[in-house]
Amino acid sequence: MVDVWQAPVEVPAFAPARPPAAALEARRVSRSFDGTRVLNEVSLTVEPGRVCALLGPNGAGKTTLVRILSGLVMPDSGSVRVCGLDPAVHERIVRRRLGLVPSGDRTFYLRLSGFENLVFFARLHGIKRRRARERAREVLEQVDLADAARLSVQKYSHGMQKRLSVARALLTEPSVFLVDEATHDLDPVAARNVIEIIRGLCRAGAAVVWATQRLDEIRGFADDVSLLSHGNVRFSGSVPELMTHATPRRFLLRLEDALPGGDLADRVVTALAGRGRVERAGGAGSGHYRLRLRDDVILGDALATLAAADARVLACREERSEIEEAFLALVQERSP
Amino acid sequence: MSVEVVRERRTAILVEELGKLPAFLRRDLLTALSYRVAFVSDVLNLVLQTATFYFVGLMVDDDVLPTYGGNTTSYLEFAVVGIALSMFIALGLSRVARAVRAEQMMGTLESVLTTPTSPATVQLGSVVYDLIYIPIRTGLFLVLAAALFGLDFDASGVGAAAAVLLAFIPFVWGLGIITAAGALTIRGSTAGVGFGVSVLTLVSGAYFPLDLFPGWIQALAEFNPLAIAIEGMREAMLGSAGWSAVAGDVLTLLPMSIASLVCGIVAFRLALKRERRAGTLGHY
Repeated sequence: MVDVWQAPVEVPAFAPARPPAAALEARRVSRSFDGTRVLNEVSLTVEPGRVCALLGPNGAGKTTLVRILSGLVMPDSGSVRVCGLDPAVHERIVRRRLGLVPSGDRTFYLRLSGFENLVFFARLHGIKRRRARERAREVLEQVDLADAARLSVQKYSHGMQKRLSVARALLTEPSVFLVDEATHDLDPVAARNVIEIIRGLCRAGAAVVWATQRLDEIRGFADDVSLLSHGNVRFSGSVPELMTHATPRRFLLRLEDALPGGDLADRVVTALAGRGRVERAGGAGSGHYRLRLRDDVILGDALATLAAADARVLACREERSEIEEAFLALVQERSP
Repeated sequence: MSVEVVRERRTAILVEELGKLPAFLRRDLLTALSYRVAFVSDVLNLVLQTATFYFVGLMVDDDVLPTYGGNTTSYLEFAVVGIALSMFIALGLSRVARAVRAEQMMGTLESVLTTPTSPATVQLGSVVYDLIYIPIRTGLFLVLAAALFGLDFDASGVGAAAAVLLAFIPFVWGLGIITAAGALTIRGSTAGVGFGVSVLTLVSGAYFPLDLFPGWIQALAEFNPLAIAIEGMREAMLGSAGWSAVAGDVLTLLPMSIASLVCGIVAFRLALKRERRAGTLGHY
């Protein structure tokens, strides 16, 4: 009977004497579908207690990489290690240590309640029935779904299903979280809630891979970034390092637009004297302007010039964030 | 690491895996209970189907039917056993085959496979509800038919009939799992299940005696597990045959059932491996 099950002989004692520095490591992972290379020698390392944001445009290979890391898809070549273990050899241990929040909605039994779904998945993780029920209640509380615990999942909104998905990943308190577009369908409050939960897990030592297209959410949240484009890693490093790839040239200004002496736009254009362009960004009297600087002009100098021309700058911000600028700059580079 | 430690770990894993089956059972029971109308209409359908055969039976001369243990039988008594087992195989095959496919379609198969659960447990767990429900449904059908239409079943043959059914059940499971494996790899291949069941049923003597067929089909029918099971159950329930009379049928069915089950498990394992390699597990 054991042969029928082909139960892998798990050897927890196999764990290396020194714990591995990386909670998750992918080395030169490649994968093709129908002759099209989706991932090309992608490497990724995530240390315990850190969030690695996986960025990339649609079709970059983020979801495929997450699926490979979770063991749902095998790589054509390359290797994956979770807590120093090879998932192909130590499948059961690795799955206990991994929490996956998939990108799709269709991952629950819609006729069952959120609570029953979680109890079912907890049982599949080998948790005893009574503890599974307790744990399901705990994680539902954590994601603020306790009031909807008895509702069938088909009555959940997308956002609630996503939170339920996060709750499922929390069931076993895993050391590695793979989160694919977790905040995609969430309102800002719910998204912040999920991010706070993940941040808490990180503080407790979990490693997180956070695949997303929402660039704004990684600032102050992700420790490291890997940027994928057409299956290649275009950037790998910290968020500040990523931002060094951006040189913002376009800014949105809000000027006090009630000064005497003619049209403000004309005055600031004259004042800039060819160092950049200013154009009205909102309706007349709104005080909103778009400033586009020449490559050799420093923002501070330009603002000082405007101030000297009696233009009072009330606010100034990048038209696109530095992360977005860097993202676009890196993604638009030619493939190697 | 000693052999004993390895064996202990394997036993622990096996116990853990078996402990997950009630979770699958509960999941599918709750899902089935959420479709109450379907459940009630299924029972009503059974009654109506039996009524149809009752009235067809009024046109059939009992003399053309075979006798069992020297007892003559009515057409309804003859047909009810055939109907019960052909429904058993039809329902068993389609539901077992579609269970995993349904998981794939719902998108839950991947969620299940990201847990530390063996593929064998997933496949068994996906069908455990049907494996229990369908034999109960078959028994309920026979009891209902006997009670409503006054069929003269021999109560002393119930044990022998159950033995035949038990020997036949793994054959259906195996065939269902083979079909499930096919459905994982070739989407939509469950459509062929209906055709296969029709062929098996036609040459099983479920609705009419096999004597009516040409000799070569009768010869083929001797290797049809459904035909063997039906004849065995008729002998037990209509002919007052003892255990010894059905022992031959049980012994013939057992190797077929084991072969079917082993082939099913291997086929499913291979299909799952192929899907993971191809990266198409979540496709539908």
